[in-house]
Amino acid sequence: MGRAVYKVKGGKMIKVQLTQRDGKIEWVKITGDFFLHPEDLIEEMERMLIGSPVKEEKINNSIKEFIKERKATFLGVAPEDFTQCIMMAGEQDG
Amino acid sequence: MNKTVEEWRLLDTDAGDAYYNMALDEAIATARSRNQVPNTIRFFRWKPSAVSIGYFQSMEEEVDIAACKSMGVDYVRRVTGGGSVYHDYNGELTYSLMVSESNRLIPKDILKSYEVLCSGLTLGLSLLGIPAEFKPINDIVVADRKISGNAQTRRMGVVHQHGTILREVDPEVMFTLLKVPSEKIRDKLIQSVKERVTSINGYLGKEVKFGELKAALKEGFERTLNIRLARQETTKYEEELATQLRKKYASREWNFKR
Repeated sequence: MGRAVYKVKGGKMIKVQLTQRDGKIEWVKITGDFFLHPEDLIEEMERMLIGSPVKEEKINNSIKEFIKERKATFLGVAPEDFTQCIMMAGEQDG
Repeated sequence: MNKTVEEWRLLDTDAGDAYYNMALDEAIATARSRNQVPNTIRFFRWKPSAVSIGYFQSMEEEVDIAACKSMGVDYVRRVTGGGSVYHDYNGELTYSLMVSESNRLIPKDILKSYEVLCSGLTLGLSLLGIPAEFKPINDIVVADRKISGNAQTRRMGVVHQHGTILREVDPEVMFTLLKVPSEKIRDKLIQSVKERVTSINGYLGKEVKFGELKAALKEGFERTLNIRLARQETTKYEEELATQLRKKYASREWNFKR
Protein backbone atom coordinates (compact mmCIF):
# COMPACT_ATOMS: atom_id res chain seq x y z
CA MET A 1 0.00 0.00 0.00
CA GLY A 2 1.20 3.49 -0.79
CA ARG A 3 0.92 6.30 1.72
CA ALA A 4 1.69 9.98 1.36
CA VAL A 5 1.30 13.13 3.40
CA TYR A 6 1.11 16.46 1.63
CA LYS A 7 1.20 19.84 3.33
CA VAL A 8 -0.78 22.42 1.40
CA LYS A 9 0.42 26.01 1.16
CA GLY A 10 -1.58 27.77 3.87
CA GLY A 11 -1.23 24.92 6.33
CA LYS A 12 -3.86 22.27 5.63
CA MET A 13 -2.77 18.64 5.45
CA ILE A 14 -3.82 15.89 3.05
CA LYS A 15 -3.07 12.21 3.65
CA VAL A 16 -3.63 9.54 1.02
CA GLN A 17 -3.49 5.76 1.24
CA LEU A 18 -3.94 3.74 -1.91
CA THR A 19 -3.38 0.46 -3.62
CA GLN A 20 -3.13 0.04 -7.38
CA ARG A 21 -3.39 -2.75 -9.90
CA ASP A 22 -2.14 -2.57 -13.50
CA GLY A 23 -1.46 1.15 -13.12
CA LYS A 24 -5.00 1.89 -11.93
CA ILE A 25 -6.29 2.90 -8.51
CA GLU A 26 -7.76 -0.16 -6.81
CA TRP A 27 -8.56 1.43 -3.43
CA VAL A 28 -8.00 4.92 -2.02
CA LYS A 29 -8.60 6.72 1.26
CA ILE A 30 -8.20 10.49 1.55
CA THR A 31 -7.99 12.03 5.02
CA GLY A 32 -6.88 15.38 6.41
CA ASP A 33 -7.86 18.63 8.10
CA PHE A 34 -9.30 20.35 5.01
CA PHE A 35 -12.91 21.37 4.37
CA LEU A 36 -15.23 19.89 1.78
CA HIS A 37 -18.89 20.85 1.49
CA PRO A 38 -21.05 18.82 1.54
CA GLU A 39 -18.86 16.58 3.67
CA ASP A 40 -20.20 13.18 2.62
CA LEU A 41 -18.98 13.75 -0.94
CA ILE A 42 -15.54 12.56 0.16
CA GLU A 43 -16.63 8.92 0.08
CA GLU A 44 -18.13 9.48 -3.34
CA MET A 45 -14.95 11.14 -4.58
CA GLU A 46 -12.91 8.16 -3.40
CA ARG A 47 -15.25 5.76 -5.23
CA MET A 48 -15.03 7.93 -8.34
CA LEU A 49 -11.22 7.61 -8.32
CA ILE A 50 -11.28 3.81 -8.30
CA GLY A 51 -10.26 2.47 -11.69
CA SER A 52 -8.60 5.72 -12.70
CA PRO A 53 -5.08 5.43 -14.15
CA VAL A 54 -2.43 6.82 -11.79
CA LYS A 55 -1.67 9.66 -14.21
CA GLU A 56 -1.44 13.23 -12.96
CA GLU A 57 -3.55 14.83 -15.67
CA LYS A 58 -6.25 12.17 -15.59
CA ILE A 59 -6.66 12.37 -11.84
CA ASN A 60 -6.65 16.15 -11.78
CA ASN A 61 -9.28 16.35 -14.50
CA SER A 62 -11.56 13.81 -12.87
CA ILE A 63 -11.40 15.64 -9.53
CA LYS A 64 -12.19 18.95 -11.24
CA GLU A 65 -15.04 17.35 -13.14
CA PHE A 66 -16.38 15.81 -9.93
CA ILE A 67 -16.35 19.17 -8.13
CA LYS A 68 -18.22 20.80 -10.99
CA GLU A 69 -20.79 18.04 -11.35
CA ARG A 70 -21.50 17.59 -7.66
CA LYS A 71 -21.27 21.32 -6.81
CA ALA A 72 -18.63 20.57 -4.20
CA THR A 73 -16.71 23.31 -2.40
CA PHE A 74 -13.20 22.76 -1.10
CA LEU A 75 -11.63 25.18 1.37
CA GLY A 76 -7.92 25.26 2.12
CA VAL A 77 -7.15 22.74 -0.62
CA ALA A 78 -7.29 22.65 -4.42
CA PRO A 79 -7.76 19.69 -6.81
CA GLU A 80 -4.04 19.94 -7.65
CA ASP A 81 -3.15 19.29 -4.00
CA PHE A 82 -5.15 16.07 -3.94
CA THR A 83 -3.62 15.04 -7.25
CA GLN A 84 -0.11 15.68 -5.92
CA CYS A 85 -0.74 13.62 -2.83
CA ILE A 86 -2.34 10.77 -4.79
CA MET A 87 0.62 10.70 -7.19
CA MET A 88 3.05 10.61 -4.24
CA ALA A 89 1.14 7.71 -2.68
CA GLY A 90 1.10 5.99 -6.08
CA GLU A 91 4.90 6.18 -6.28
CA GLN A 92 5.14 4.67 -2.80
CA ASP A 93 3.01 1.76 -3.95
CA GLY A 94 5.24 1.13 -6.97
CA MET B 1 -31.69 52.48 16.85
CA ASN B 2 -32.94 49.51 14.92
CA LYS B 3 -36.25 48.51 16.49
CA THR B 4 -36.66 45.36 14.43
CA VAL B 5 -33.60 43.69 15.87
CA GLU B 6 -33.77 39.90 15.47
CA GLU B 7 -34.09 37.83 18.58
CA TRP B 8 -31.99 34.67 18.71
CA ARG B 9 -31.86 32.03 21.40
CA LEU B 10 -28.89 31.73 23.76
CA LEU B 11 -28.26 28.33 25.30
CA ASP B 12 -25.76 27.73 28.04
CA THR B 13 -25.67 23.96 28.29
CA ASP B 14 -22.62 23.93 30.56
CA ALA B 15 -20.51 20.75 30.57
CA GLY B 16 -21.42 17.52 28.79
CA ASP B 17 -19.49 14.57 27.50
CA ALA B 18 -18.12 14.58 23.96
CA TYR B 19 -20.85 12.39 22.47
CA TYR B 20 -23.70 14.32 24.04
CA ASN B 21 -22.10 17.64 23.08
CA MET B 22 -21.92 16.67 19.42
CA ALA B 23 -25.37 15.04 19.54
CA LEU B 24 -26.97 18.17 20.99
CA ASP B 25 -25.40 20.33 18.27
CA GLU B 26 -26.96 18.10 15.62
CA ALA B 27 -30.30 18.02 17.47
CA ILE B 28 -30.39 21.82 17.60
CA ALA B 29 -29.49 22.08 13.90
CA THR B 30 -32.28 19.62 13.10
CA ALA B 31 -34.80 21.50 15.25
CA ARG B 32 -33.74 24.73 13.54
CA SER B 33 -34.19 23.16 10.09
CA ARG B 34 -37.74 22.18 11.07
CA ASN B 35 -38.37 25.73 12.21
CA GLN B 36 -39.10 24.57 15.74
CA VAL B 37 -36.55 26.87 17.32
CA PRO B 38 -35.04 30.26 16.50
CA ASN B 39 -31.48 30.82 15.35
CA THR B 40 -29.36 29.71 18.27
CA ILE B 41 -25.99 30.31 19.86
CA ARG B 42 -24.86 27.75 22.40
CA PHE B 43 -22.00 27.83 24.92
CA PHE B 44 -20.68 24.59 26.35
CA ARG B 45 -17.69 22.78 27.84
CA TRP B 46 -16.42 19.21 27.77
CA LYS B 47 -16.51 16.97 30.81
CA PRO B 48 -14.50 14.82 30.73
CA SER B 49 -12.01 16.73 28.58
CA ALA B 50 -12.04 15.39 25.03
CA VAL B 51 -10.33 15.35 21.67
CA SER B 52 -12.48 16.08 18.62
CA ILE B 53 -11.28 15.32 15.12
CA GLY B 54 -12.40 16.78 11.81
CA TYR B 55 -14.87 14.86 9.65
CA PHE B 56 -12.16 13.89 7.14
CA GLN B 57 -9.52 12.82 9.63
CA SER B 58 -8.60 9.31 10.67
CA MET B 59 -9.06 8.63 14.39
CA GLU B 60 -6.26 6.06 14.41
CA GLU B 61 -3.84 8.40 12.66
CA GLU B 62 -4.60 11.50 14.72
CA VAL B 63 -5.37 10.35 18.24
CA ASP B 64 -3.38 8.32 20.74
CA ILE B 65 -6.31 6.22 21.94
CA ALA B 66 -4.32 4.48 24.69
CA ALA B 67 -3.20 7.85 26.10
CA CYS B 68 -6.79 9.16 26.01
CA LYS B 69 -8.03 6.08 27.85
CA SER B 70 -5.37 6.27 30.54
CA MET B 71 -6.07 9.99 31.07
CA GLY B 72 -9.86 9.60 30.98
CA VAL B 73 -10.19 11.76 27.87
CA ASP B 74 -13.01 11.13 25.37
CA TYR B 75 -12.54 11.21 21.60
CA VAL B 76 -15.15 11.99 18.99
CA ARG B 77 -15.48 12.72 15.27
CA ARG B 78 -17.16 16.03 14.38
CA VAL B 79 -19.62 16.60 11.54
CA THR B 80 -17.38 19.47 10.43
CA GLY B 81 -14.05 19.39 8.62
CA GLY B 82 -10.85 20.89 9.99
CA GLY B 83 -8.29 19.54 12.39
CA SER B 84 -8.08 17.82 15.74
CA VAL B 85 -8.81 19.88 18.85
CA TYR B 86 -8.16 19.16 22.50
CA HIS B 87 -11.09 20.47 24.54
CA ASP B 88 -9.74 20.85 28.04
CA TYR B 89 -12.48 21.18 30.68
CA ASN B 90 -10.70 24.08 32.36
CA GLY B 91 -8.87 25.42 29.35
CA GLU B 92 -11.48 26.16 26.75
CA LEU B 93 -14.99 27.27 25.94
CA THR B 94 -16.83 25.93 22.91
CA TYR B 95 -19.62 27.74 21.14
CA SER B 96 -21.92 26.57 18.43
CA LEU B 97 -24.17 28.56 16.20
CA MET B 98 -27.13 27.31 14.19
CA VAL B 99 -28.62 29.81 11.82
CA SER B 100 -30.89 29.46 8.85
CA GLU B 101 -28.95 29.57 5.58
CA SER B 102 -31.47 32.11 4.28
CA ASN B 103 -30.74 34.59 7.08
CA ARG B 104 -29.64 38.08 5.93
CA LEU B 105 -26.25 37.53 7.60
CA ILE B 106 -25.27 34.43 5.67
CA PRO B 107 -23.33 34.89 2.43
CA LYS B 108 -23.44 32.00 -0.06
CA ASP B 109 -19.67 32.01 0.06
CA ILE B 110 -18.63 29.82 3.01
CA LEU B 111 -15.32 31.60 3.46
CA LYS B 112 -17.10 34.96 3.81
CA SER B 113 -19.60 33.52 6.25
CA TYR B 114 -16.78 32.44 8.55
CA GLU B 115 -15.68 36.05 8.72
CA VAL B 116 -19.21 37.32 9.41
CA LEU B 117 -19.92 34.81 12.17
CA CYS B 118 -16.45 35.03 13.72
CA SER B 119 -16.82 38.81 14.04
CA GLY B 120 -18.89 38.21 17.18
CA LEU B 121 -15.96 36.35 18.70
CA THR B 122 -13.36 38.94 17.74
CA LEU B 123 -15.44 41.76 19.24
CA GLY B 124 -16.12 39.67 22.35
CA LEU B 125 -12.41 39.08 22.82
CA SER B 126 -11.66 42.78 22.21
CA LEU B 127 -14.10 43.64 25.00
CA LEU B 128 -11.87 41.58 27.29
CA GLY B 129 -8.82 43.56 26.15
CA ILE B 130 -7.60 41.11 23.54
CA PRO B 131 -7.06 42.65 20.09
CA ALA B 132 -8.28 39.59 18.20
CA GLU B 133 -8.51 39.40 14.43
CA PHE B 134 -10.07 36.97 11.99
CA LYS B 135 -7.54 35.04 9.94
CA PRO B 136 -8.87 33.14 6.93
CA ILE B 137 -9.83 30.39 6.53
CA ASN B 138 -11.20 29.67 9.95
CA ASP B 139 -8.97 31.04 12.70
CA ILE B 140 -8.96 33.93 15.13
CA VAL B 141 -5.53 35.22 16.08
CA VAL B 142 -3.97 37.72 18.48
CA ALA B 143 -0.68 39.19 17.30
CA ASP B 144 -0.60 36.33 14.78
CA ARG B 145 -1.03 33.64 17.43
CA LYS B 146 -4.10 31.44 17.27
CA ILE B 147 -6.66 31.80 20.06
CA SER B 148 -9.72 30.27 18.37
CA GLY B 149 -10.43 27.71 15.66
CA ASN B 150 -13.79 27.37 13.93
CA ALA B 151 -15.52 24.93 11.61
CA GLN B 152 -18.74 25.01 9.68
CA THR B 153 -21.11 22.66 7.92
CA ARG B 154 -24.32 23.36 6.04
CA ARG B 155 -27.12 20.82 6.07
CA MET B 156 -30.88 20.94 5.70
CA GLY B 157 -30.76 24.69 5.04
CA VAL B 158 -28.96 25.39 8.31
CA VAL B 159 -25.49 26.80 8.83
CA HIS B 160 -23.93 24.99 11.77
CA GLN B 161 -20.69 26.51 12.97
CA HIS B 162 -18.80 25.60 16.09
CA GLY B 163 -15.47 26.62 17.49
CA THR B 164 -13.15 26.72 20.40
CA ILE B 165 -11.91 29.69 22.41
CA LEU B 166 -8.75 29.02 24.39
CA ARG B 167 -8.77 30.30 27.94
CA GLU B 168 -5.64 28.37 28.92
CA VAL B 169 -3.46 26.14 26.80
CA ASP B 170 -1.14 23.26 27.62
CA PRO B 171 0.62 21.98 24.48
CA GLU B 172 2.31 19.20 26.46
CA VAL B 173 -1.02 17.59 27.35
CA MET B 174 -2.23 18.18 23.80
CA PHE B 175 0.67 16.26 22.28
CA THR B 176 0.28 13.45 24.78
CA LEU B 177 -3.19 12.86 23.36
CA LEU B 178 -2.51 13.56 19.69
CA LYS B 179 -0.24 11.34 17.68
CA VAL B 180 3.05 12.75 16.47
CA PRO B 181 4.88 11.49 13.37
CA SER B 182 7.86 10.48 15.52
CA GLU B 183 8.96 10.80 19.14
CA LYS B 184 12.01 12.71 17.97
CA ILE B 185 9.91 15.69 16.89
CA ARG B 186 7.46 15.72 19.81
CA ASP B 187 9.39 18.44 21.67
CA LYS B 188 9.73 20.45 18.49
CA LEU B 189 5.96 20.31 17.91
CA ILE B 190 5.27 21.35 21.49
CA GLN B 191 7.66 24.26 21.10
CA SER B 192 6.03 25.27 17.83
CA VAL B 193 2.55 25.27 19.40
CA LYS B 194 3.87 27.38 22.27
CA GLU B 195 5.01 29.93 19.69
CA ARG B 196 1.96 29.82 17.43
CA VAL B 197 -0.89 29.51 19.93
CA THR B 198 -2.00 31.77 22.75
CA SER B 199 -4.88 31.88 25.22
CA ILE B 200 -6.99 34.46 27.00
CA ASN B 201 -5.36 34.02 30.39
CA GLY B 202 -1.91 33.68 28.84
CA TYR B 203 -2.28 36.84 26.78
CA LEU B 204 -3.78 38.96 29.55
CA GLY B 205 -1.59 37.55 32.31
CA LYS B 206 -4.66 37.18 34.53
CA GLU B 207 -7.58 34.83 34.88
CA VAL B 208 -10.78 35.48 33.01
CA LYS B 209 -13.66 33.43 34.46
CA PHE B 210 -15.90 31.43 32.12
CA GLY B 211 -18.86 33.62 33.10
CA GLU B 212 -17.00 36.76 32.13
CA LEU B 213 -15.91 35.22 28.83
CA LYS B 214 -19.45 34.14 27.93
CA ALA B 215 -20.85 37.57 28.79
CA ALA B 216 -18.26 39.23 26.53
CA LEU B 217 -18.94 36.85 23.64
CA LYS B 218 -22.71 37.34 24.03
CA GLU B 219 -22.25 41.09 23.72
CA GLY B 220 -19.84 40.58 20.81
CA PHE B 221 -22.38 38.52 18.88
CA GLU B 222 -25.25 40.89 19.69
CA ARG B 223 -23.38 43.97 18.53
CA THR B 224 -21.73 42.62 15.39
CA LEU B 225 -24.67 40.54 14.15
CA ASN B 226 -27.23 43.14 15.27
CA ILE B 227 -29.27 40.59 17.18
CA ARG B 228 -30.60 40.22 20.70
CA LEU B 229 -29.72 36.98 22.47
CA ALA B 230 -32.46 35.73 24.78
CA ARG B 231 -31.43 33.15 27.33
CA GLN B 232 -33.61 30.04 26.93
CA GLU B 233 -33.48 26.30 27.45
CA THR B 234 -33.32 23.38 25.02
CA THR B 235 -36.69 21.98 23.96
CA LYS B 236 -37.99 18.52 24.80
CA TYR B 237 -37.62 17.59 21.13
CA GLU B 238 -33.97 18.64 21.12
CA GLU B 239 -33.22 16.75 24.32
CA GLU B 240 -34.87 13.56 23.14
CA LEU B 241 -33.18 13.74 19.76
CA ALA B 242 -29.81 14.43 21.41
CA THR B 243 -30.22 11.33 23.58
CA GLN B 244 -30.89 9.30 20.43
CA LEU B 245 -28.02 10.86 18.46
CA ARG B 246 -25.59 10.41 21.32
CA LYS B 247 -25.50 6.70 20.45
CA LYS B 248 -24.21 7.53 16.98
CA TYR B 249 -21.46 9.83 18.27
CA ALA B 250 -20.39 7.25 20.87
CA SER B 251 -20.25 4.47 18.28
CA ARG B 252 -17.09 2.94 16.91
CA GLU B 253 -18.71 2.97 13.49
CA TRP B 254 -18.90 6.78 13.48
CA ASN B 255 -15.67 7.59 15.28
CA PHE B 256 -13.48 5.22 13.28
CA LYS B 257 -15.23 5.54 9.96
CA ARG B 258 -12.22 7.14 8.29
